[in-house]
Amino acid sequence: MVVANLKAIQRVPEAADLLDIVLSQTQRKTPTVVHKGYPIQRIRAFYMRKVRYAQSTFHERLSRILSDFPVVDDVHPFYGDLINVLYDRDHYKLALGQVHRARSLMDAVARDYVRLLKYADSLYRAKSLKRAALGRMGTMAKRLAPCLAYLEQVRQHMARLPSIDPNTRTLLVAGAPNVGKSSFLNSVTRADVDVQPYAFTTQSLFVGHMDYHYLRWQVIDTPGVLDRELEQRNTIEMQAITALAHLRAAVLFFVDPSEQCGYPMAQQLRLFHSLRPLFGDKPLLLVCNKVDLGWEHTLDAETWRAVEAAAADTGAELMKMSATGDADRESVYAVRNRACERLLEVRVSQRMTQRRSDAVLNRLHVAMPPQTRPPVIPESVWAARQAQREAGAAAAAVPPPRLTEKQREEQMGGAGVYSMDWRKLYDLRESEWRYDIMPEVVDGKNLADYVDADILERLDALERDEEARLAALEAREGMETEEGEEEQRRARAIVRAATERRILRQRRAARERSQNPSVPPARLRSRSVSSRGPARRHPPGVGVPRSLQTASRPPTAAVALRQVHGVRDMKQAAKARRLFEQSRRKAFASREHRQGEWDRFIAVKKPKHLYAGKMSLGTRHHR
Amino acid sequence: MPQGDYIELHRRRHGRRLDHEERLRKREAREPRRIAERSRTLTGIRAKLHNRERFRDKVRLRKAAAVQAQRQARRRQGAGGRDEDGEERRVVEGALPAYLLDREETQRAKILSNTIKEKRKEKGGKWSVPLPRVRPLADDEIFRVVRTGKKSKKREWKRMVTKMSFVGDSYTRKPPKYERFIRPMGLRVKRANVTHPELKATFSLDIIGVKKNPSGPMYTQLGVVTRGTIVEVNVSELGLVTTSGKVVWGKYAQVTNNPEVDGTVNAVLLV
Ligand SMILES: Nc1nc2c(ncn2[C@@H]2O[C@H](COP(=O)(O)OP(=O)(O)OP(=O)(O)O)[C@@H](O)[C@H]2O)c(=O)[nH]1
Ligand SMILES: [Mg+2]
Repeated sequence: MVVANLKAIQRVPEAADLLDIVLSQTQRKTPTVVHKGYPIQRIRAFYMRKVRYAQSTFHERLSRILSDFPVVDDVHPFYGDLINVLYDRDHYKLALGQVHRARSLMDAVARDYVRLLKYADSLYRAKSLKRAALGRMGTMAKRLAPCLAYLEQVRQHMARLPSIDPNTRTLLVAGAPNVGKSSFLNSVTRADVDVQPYAFTTQSLFVGHMDYHYLRWQVIDTPGVLDRELEQRNTIEMQAITALAHLRAAVLFFVDPSEQCGYPMAQQLRLFHSLRPLFGDKPLLLVCNKVDLGWEHTLDAETWRAVEAAAADTGAELMKMSATGDADRESVYAVRNRACERLLEVRVSQRMTQRRSDAVLNRLHVAMPPQTRPPVIPESVWAARQAQREAGAAAAAVPPPRLTEKQREEQMGGAGVYSMDWRKLYDLRESEWRYDIMPEVVDGKNLADYVDADILERLDALERDEEARLAALEAREGMETEEGEEEQRRARAIVRAATERRILRQRRAARERSQNPSVPPARLRSRSVSSRGPARRHPPGVGVPRSLQTASRPPTAAVALRQVHGVRDMKQAAKARRLFEQSRRKAFASREHRQGEWDRFIAVKKPKHLYAGKMSLGTRHHR
Repeated sequence: MPQGDYIELHRRRHGRRLDHEERLRKREAREPRRIAERSRTLTGIRAKLHNRERFRDKVRLRKAAAVQAQRQARRRQGAGGRDEDGEERRVVEGALPAYLLDREETQRAKILSNTIKEKRKEKGGKWSVPLPRVRPLADDEIFRVVRTGKKSKKREWKRMVTKMSFVGDSYTRKPPKYERFIRPMGLRVKRANVTHPELKATFSLDIIGVKKNPSGPMYTQLGVVTRGTIVEVNVSELGLVTTSGKVVWGKYAQVTNNPEVDGTVNAVLLV
């Protein structure tokens, strides 16, 4: 909404100031000297420019006024009505309308005079026309004086309006004058509103903010309202009425049964009844203030019954409170909390009935931590501790810390005498591999080019295959002697071996085929330091990039979660997945898409047409 | 964000700062110095504006001083009695009572004005219009030569009217070959600001036609509107009535400004 805009309106200059601004700007920003030899065309252009400049400056200034001030019909109805009550909607619209009209008239005048200037045949005539044009625009600006003065006043007042957000959680305090509304606001928020022992202390709306239930709430203090016809109400009271009518808030209607405020109880209740249409179905609290004055004992029963009946009639909750007499503000907070709860209930139930809530609920997942989370202690540590405990106090001495290579180097005589042994702790399958020599180049060939990660596997498979074949051969030879069962087992082994081979071959082919530019070919990739040298002897999985170890990894937990995030059920998730796959297939189907328009691409480094030729006196040889 | 009358509230609660009055007084006392400083240092358009303002101030002061001086003079040589301050007024010899003061003057003024009127009548002849004499305009002031046509560039040329002109609604252009005079669209007028000399009010009225251009009949025919031209304007909006009760709709008016220089036509109604 336009809450912020009300404060951001720029100052509206007075008419005389506006004229001075425009004329001096025209003087400063356009050329000022006509020289003797100027051809008539140039003189014409000189003055046309002045006329146009003045017009555009006027236009700009007036447009800013028009765009700054809110349009009554566009803002939230609460602000619309507030503008109507405070500044008189008609007057406001008329003023803006006049500014608009003046702007278009100035445009028309400038257009006419620029046209006349085209026919000016002398310096004198051109200059006179310019004078006439600026003069006429100036006269129009002067005629705007009352409008601009009014708009400036409105602007100043608007800047002091409280920034009320019509849509947020709101408590609205209303009631007769002097019943302690402002005292309540002061005690629940940090707003510093004037409190005085006479009526009509508060003359406009005031807003304060507070926290309840970890939420931000705004509390609005309204001026006191008298019990009379709507037409007779003055501007001050009408602000309260506007707030009651347009804000969807919890209403706290204050009454003062002690009648210290100067209005008898019957009158306050009449006011309550007359305002009833404005309460609508908002949460309503009837707050009886100033309990500390002891009205509970002195109030006659009939009046109290009337209060209770009024509350029952409207579905209001009846609460007693003392805004200033309560040292720890217990009753004040009780009222505040009740009002907040009621409003929250209403707002939440409204939210839940809207269809929009589904989108949020689908996306919500409340993660509950497991009930007990024992600390994770590695087996070895656990055993060490156990051993230590068993050894008892004698061996309780702290085990010597492990020496790092650096410390060892210092002990053994420093750098140069002792060289650090990096290979000592290499984590290889066979510990004697650690000190193997790892040449990078053998016979003039880079060894890394010939590293095959799964050579062992393949060798293994090859051997098994051979065995199986041999066995099959034997089986065929001694078919008569062997039992049928034995033969069957062998045949199965052959088939299994063949299948394994095929799978291996397929995997290998797939890897070779993969030309995905984001992953370098396997040959290059395996050149990483960790896999250089005797990598062929490594067990599968050491020194081989992770992506190659398993052809397909199960999707991680995060990915799985994301796939069902924000969808209704598994069926919808499956559909979403399918659509996504389709679109991706479409997007990456052809090779052309590999290079997109977002890829940096410079066709010609220094285009000839941008670097060649002359450019002087504002002319160039090319466009 | 402050809300309500926060300035007033703050003043009510905490008062103004202790040296507020003193600061105000000093600022006021420094004002002439500030003005002098600006008069010395400003240049250009700002200096112009500043000087204009200073001049207005001075005129205001001088007038106030003159009023004051007059009052004092009257007090010094007043016609007896007591003035507002309770001082006795001295009676000057030969003083006239207030009710006889301007008798002689009015008589003299009447005689003067009558003689002037007589003289004017003699001079004015039969045309008693607001602008009886205007400077006649030469051809080359009104027309500019425009060469047109392809083949006979040297021979064929047209004239363009450089003054404002009135062209009636029903005017149709001749074929370009036979068109001698061009009255450019940008310089045509339709309306005039006509002042009624007795009502002292000005109206924007439609022009019906050009009655007479003082510079010559050709200009009248072309509808050129210059200073002193008599134009006929549509006064039906004013609701004027003849003695016989008919509504007048066309009336003559004389142009009093240079339309091509001002961009508008100002005229005085001939009544
Ligand atoms: N004893 C007592 N006095 C109170 C209590 N609440 C407010 N007052 C007094 O009532 C007077 C009016 O209080 P305000 O808060 O200004 O009343 P208001 O409703 O805002 O009045 P308007 O703004 O004029 O409509 C002040 O003198 C307060 O001190 C209360 O609970 N007990
Ligand atoms: Mg108040």
